[in-house]
Amino acid sequence: MLFNQRIFFGKILRGPSAKATLAGAVAVTLLAACSSGSSSSSAPVGGKSTSASPSPSVLAGANCSSSATHLTFWAWVPGMSRAVTKFNATHPTICVTLEDPGAGSGEYVPLDNALKAGTGAPDVAEVEFDLLPSYEIQHYLVNLAPYGANKYKSNFSEWAWSQVSRGTAVYAMPSDFGPMGFYYNQKVLAKYHISPPTTWTELAADAKKVHSANSKAFLIDFPANDPQWLMDMMSQAGAWPFDYSGGANLKINWTGPAQMKFASFWQPLLDSHSVGTVADLSTQELTQLDNGTIAAAIYSAWAPSYFAPDVKLSLGQWRASALPQWSAGTKVGAVWGGSTYPVFSESQHPAQAAVFSEWLTATDQSWDIVKTPPSSLFPTYLPTLNSSAFKAQTYPISGSSQPNQVFSAAAEGVPNTPWPPFMTQVLTQGTSTFGPVLTGKVTLAQAFATFQKQEVTYAQSQGFKVST
Amino acid sequence: MTGAALPLARRRSAYARRRGRSGLTFVTPFMIVFTLFMVVPLAYAIYQSLYTTKLIGGTTFSGFANYATVLRSGPFWGGVARVIIFGAIQIPIMLAIAFFFATIFDLGVARWGRVFRAIFFVPFAVPIVVSSLMWGFLFDPSYGPFNRIMNTAGFHNFNWLSSGLMIPAIIIIAIWEWTGYNSVILYTALKSVPRDVIEAAILDDTPLWKIILRIKLPLVRPAIVMLVFINTIGALQLFVEPYILNNYQAGVVTNTWTPVIDIYSTAISNGEYQLGAAMAVVLAFVIIAISVTSLTFRNRRRDFG
Repeated sequence: MLFNQRIFFGKILRGPSAKATLAGAVAVTLLAACSSGSSSSSAPVGGKSTSASPSPSVLAGANCSSSATHLTFWAWVPGMSRAVTKFNATHPTICVTLEDPGAGSGEYVPLDNALKAGTGAPDVAEVEFDLLPSYEIQHYLVNLAPYGANKYKSNFSEWAWSQVSRGTAVYAMPSDFGPMGFYYNQKVLAKYHISPPTTWTELAADAKKVHSANSKAFLIDFPANDPQWLMDMMSQAGAWPFDYSGGANLKINWTGPAQMKFASFWQPLLDSHSVGTVADLSTQELTQLDNGTIAAAIYSAWAPSYFAPDVKLSLGQWRASALPQWSAGTKVGAVWGGSTYPVFSESQHPAQAAVFSEWLTATDQSWDIVKTPPSSLFPTYLPTLNSSAFKAQTYPISGSSQPNQVFSAAAEGVPNTPWPPFMTQVLTQGTSTFGPVLTGKVTLAQAFATFQKQEVTYAQSQGFKVST
Repeated sequence: MTGAALPLARRRSAYARRRGRSGLTFVTPFMIVFTLFMVVPLAYAIYQSLYTTKLIGGTTFSGFANYATVLRSGPFWGGVARVIIFGAIQIPIMLAIAFFFATIFDLGVARWGRVFRAIFFVPFAVPIVVSSLMWGFLFDPSYGPFNRIMNTAGFHNFNWLSSGLMIPAIIIIAIWEWTGYNSVILYTALKSVPRDVIEAAILDDTPLWKIILRIKLPLVRPAIVMLVFINTIGALQLFVEPYILNNYQAGVVTNTWTPVIDIYSTAISNGEYQLGAAMAVVLAFVIIAISVTSLTFRNRRRDFG
């Protein structure tokens, strides 16, 4: 694990699939290095040449019948070729070719360019939930409702379906997602005589307890630099800072009472250094979680498979419990990450592409494959999500416990999160604006106020009617 | 006009035509590539910079509005100032070190001179991405050996990648990367200093340090001026090192930290390609301004006379 923040000037990846990011991140870096001329500090003459090979690797799609309709499919989830091979075998009239252009920006940058150019885009591609409105607003997505997508609605988690649909229009088929929970090392928690907190107030007290017992240890990390994690946390607090339902109207509110309440809850914990401030999912964080410096993490359903390769010392000690609540007794959830599979308007074969996207996301046949390693997708597809076999799944990292019991339950009661239609900008600017919160240079409330201004300015420059 | 002059002129012009033709033949391949990969993209960038595409409202001609935005952008000029400070510190230190080693190699006093020249040149052969990753591990806030050394030396909670030390850290990396390259160029220049000048100085019993600083240094000044010029352009385009180091320390390198990072995040992350193009044109003008100033300076001193 080399890249801590995965990708800085693009998408920060969520989900087990993000493990495969390194190659993608380096490729993007190399491309950037090329495109900006001799981008380093010296010697543009006879400078160093870096050869980035943007040609994606074709992973499946050979051996189709010549009369079959050919589709191109981009995705970076490892092991996805298994599902594509299965689809091609069971659908002789359609031939899907899978290409992996690289995770996150590795895919999004060429995808955006192809869509802008009007040629070269795949028929179907992996797009994370938060980026879907960014593609929808540019009319790049095919409404799947005429192709029967709505009949799958009851098979999906409410949150997931609300993310991919607007009214009766369906802009993508949802695949995996990450209901959030409290993920902890039970031995370390026991050492501090702490039981998993059920409210945030309890968590704050526990955080102080851990830090006063050992000034180098923390209950949890608060990775304020990650806007996606931060916004998901805010959604659970009823402080979601955007409202968008298509069109030109956009609400941006980072400075309302709910947002300020959220900031003023966490700021004292930051000020007293009762929470850790390393970047989430970074080498530092994962190492500190493994060696017990950080006892727990506000992670999501994909955490067990994501975190597993870094676990050496704490194998078998990890347990999951429900996300702490703002009021005792409630069950409000949040979702961190996940992907969808839209069909693009450039596609010459939208009907066949819709068949593929629906098969990939809404059939037991597909889920029996993609829920297993190395894909390890956590389903929005209820028949798999609620199956007792899936819930009873154990992982070496969690010993005999069944973390999916907790995360499946966490999939319910998640407030909708209407993403703004320019999420790449939000993530990049947010990472930049919230980063200094970690180093103590600004407070969370100050960063929120700065970000409010930056976002309103950007949205207005993009022609939106902004309300606050 | 005498009659004899006419055929001569004709001959001469025929020769000139032939020479012109062959000249054209030699220049054409370069001109085609130059036009396709330099002139056309530049013209396209300038053309793009005059338009604005909005998510709501589409693409419209906006004249110099993008340029007005760039000229008023505090973060952009803050980034320009940052890389100028970076260059102002890094380039002199690096050139001093490079000249020192070039002199040693030139004097031939060092054993295994060729081997060491090759070793010093190796960092230049390492891709910048790779060397930045490597230095990132060395500077890593939690596990990097350099912070441990500083902590052992009594500086507690020392962090090479903190906001105050990020530029010094990148200066160290850049010096490591480029000193070998610069010293090879200086070494070549020193080698071309006429032997008789040096021999005359030796016969006059001139001390070695005087030969180096009073004779050789002035004679290789054109090479030094060229290196200052090239390195300044490079410094203004600083991108990869901070981009990579950001992965080791969150919250220091912002999306406007250097002009090129600003251009990249404006165009790619914010989707404002035309504004990014305008920023690139402005940065190009800053570089051209520095180049012209330096050329004027060189010509006045008749360095290439």
